[in-house]
Amino acid sequence: MSSSYERIFDIPIGPQHPALKEPAMLKLKVDGEHVVGVDLDVSYNHRGIEKAAEYRTYIQNLYLIERICGICNVAQTLTYCLAVEYLHGKEIPPRARFLRVLAEEISRINSHLLWLGVAAHEIGFDTFFMHVWLDREITLGLMEALSGNRITSSYNVIGGVRRDVTEGLLSTIRKGLDELEPRVKRYREIVLNDRSILKRTQGVGILRSADAVSTSAVGPTLRASGIKSDVRIDDPYSSHDQIPFNVITADGCDAHSRILVRLDEIMESVQICRHCISKLPAGPILQRLPRRPPQGEAMSRVEAPRGELFHYISSDGTDKPYRLKVSTPTLANLPALVRMLTSKGRYVVNIADVPVILASIDPCFSCAARVERSGGA
Amino acid sequence: MDPIILSLYQVLVFPGFLFLMAASFLYEWLDRKIYAWMQLRAGPVTAGPVGILQPVADFVKLMGKEDITPAYADRRIFGAVPVVMVALILTFWAVVPVTGAEGLVSFKGDVIFAVVAMTFFCMLVFLGGFSSADRFSLLGAERAVLQLLGFEIPMMLSLTGVCIHTGGLSLSEIVSWQAENGWSILGPQSIGFFIFLVAAQAELERIPFDIPEAEQEIVAGWLTEYSGRKLALIRLAKDMELVFVSGLAVALFLGGPFGPSPAGLEWALYPAYFLLKLALVVAALALIRGLFARARIDQMVSFGMMYLVPLSLAQVAATILWRLI
Repeated sequence: MSSSYERIFDIPIGPQHPALKEPAMLKLKVDGEHVVGVDLDVSYNHRGIEKAAEYRTYIQNLYLIERICGICNVAQTLTYCLAVEYLHGKEIPPRARFLRVLAEEISRINSHLLWLGVAAHEIGFDTFFMHVWLDREITLGLMEALSGNRITSSYNVIGGVRRDVTEGLLSTIRKGLDELEPRVKRYREIVLNDRSILKRTQGVGILRSADAVSTSAVGPTLRASGIKSDVRIDDPYSSHDQIPFNVITADGCDAHSRILVRLDEIMESVQICRHCISKLPAGPILQRLPRRPPQGEAMSRVEAPRGELFHYISSDGTDKPYRLKVSTPTLANLPALVRMLTSKGRYVVNIADVPVILASIDPCFSCAARVERSGGA
Repeated sequence: MDPIILSLYQVLVFPGFLFLMAASFLYEWLDRKIYAWMQLRAGPVTAGPVGILQPVADFVKLMGKEDITPAYADRRIFGAVPVVMVALILTFWAVVPVTGAEGLVSFKGDVIFAVVAMTFFCMLVFLGGFSSADRFSLLGAERAVLQLLGFEIPMMLSLTGVCIHTGGLSLSEIVSWQAENGWSILGPQSIGFFIFLVAAQAELERIPFDIPEAEQEIVAGWLTEYSGRKLALIRLAKDMELVFVSGLAVALFLGGPFGPSPAGLEWALYPAYFLLKLALVVAALALIRGLFARARIDQMVSFGMMYLVPLSLAQVAATILWRLI
């Protein structure tokens, strides 16, 4: 620090910082406690997964793709499998489609609960964090029962799913959901009524509807700004067109409504899971597909827990993809994040708000780090 | 016994330095256990029975760690702050009554002396953060001073209430008055006790007022650059401060160390009562810590000014009325 008096100085949040679980760089210009400028760099964690995918067969890629993101591994493999199936031009059996929805929604509940805990931790509410994460164990148990693994499930495979369910397993899942539902309702009550949570999240991280659209926000971040957009409804994949559910939106446009949207989505997911279990069709769970898809291109979208996930595959007729392109929801939400962090008129961002705003888009920087930044943001 | 040896024993062992250190480790353990219990965790379990030696183990471990002073830090202030902090609390501990109505020293106005300790501690926090020459430390130091604005006045007013109520400006007078007329928390001072607890939470920099060292925002705030022996001393000073503030609360509101006792056993029972009441206050502070999210600095100051100050003024007014009736 120079000896002269500087009113505005830089605060680096990252690449290593307690508020971040993954490396990213948020350079804040602060005036006292107020943030007056922000500069974002996310290219600390480039892992070359897209390139690596070109050297592996379609089957091998399944296990590479699910490692893009641990939390939304089900969504990642689902998107990838859908793209490969589109290449083949084949439909998968109805039972497999329902099971995919089941796995996807359980992982969505898991992801949202994990996020809720992290968000509580970011506002310094560690008791809430610990309680939520204990209940998250229920969903991890369900995932283990369904797929054999707690986190990296490897459940979706090209042409269907890997494991069938029995009646006993379905009743285990139903029991787990029954256990989870009242807990989530209680958390919703706490989030709505606890003054210390309200004070830290209401009016923080404002993203107006028009801004949300113009910055191309996706997922719960977009829906918390009052825009009704969900890939499950807009472009149904798996069996989402056969399952009744609501798209949750909130009008608060702030961090608090993002918490509420995610909590309500957990409730919706519980309902979707119940529907899947009760309406599960009989039949095979796997449609065998040839090792080499025909030449061509395919694109698939899935509503991952964090928002729209996009895969593009170009095939040259061999058993390895010619090109795989992944676009994750965090990347799509970054412009919106910068908008939320920019003070404008009466809307002032405090340093204390930065972790809350950052957490409110549910960032996963290791998924997002497939771009290099050049020059100013 | 030789009076000099007795005095030395009182200052160095009981109820002086060693006792305070032991108590601070004990109550850190209690605080952590209660906090863990609220979070459905086990808390410390490995060191000693039910993990009771964990704070000692932490302290020893930190003492052995590498001690780094940043190149641009003001070395003298940076190094002095931890030592002065410990010395400060050890000195001010002398006024807290542990074995009877009087502490090691007792004089008219030692309540004011005790209040000075709080402000002094806050100034040391500021100096520590400022001399670190680090952005996070600087922000933490700024926040510590801002926070002082929020809690200092209510805390002083809550003490004023007790002084008016008992008619004394020394802790021994207050404690003896309570021994005759009942604990002062039972009157209008119950509000004062509440205000004192909230202000103490801010003074001790614990959730919801751990703003100067908010981990998620500014790493460790004013503590960011401290490591090794210095950090160990600061942590010890903070634990001692917890005991000191709780001890003040016991003396001011919960009747000090006095309690029912058969004649001849006072020497053992009074300190035991003191430790028990201390545990109550620490438990209350731990509960507050587990129940809230961290406030923002502007919210904290406006909370102090808009709610705590009027409340403490009302409490002083109520106390004066109580005295007149």
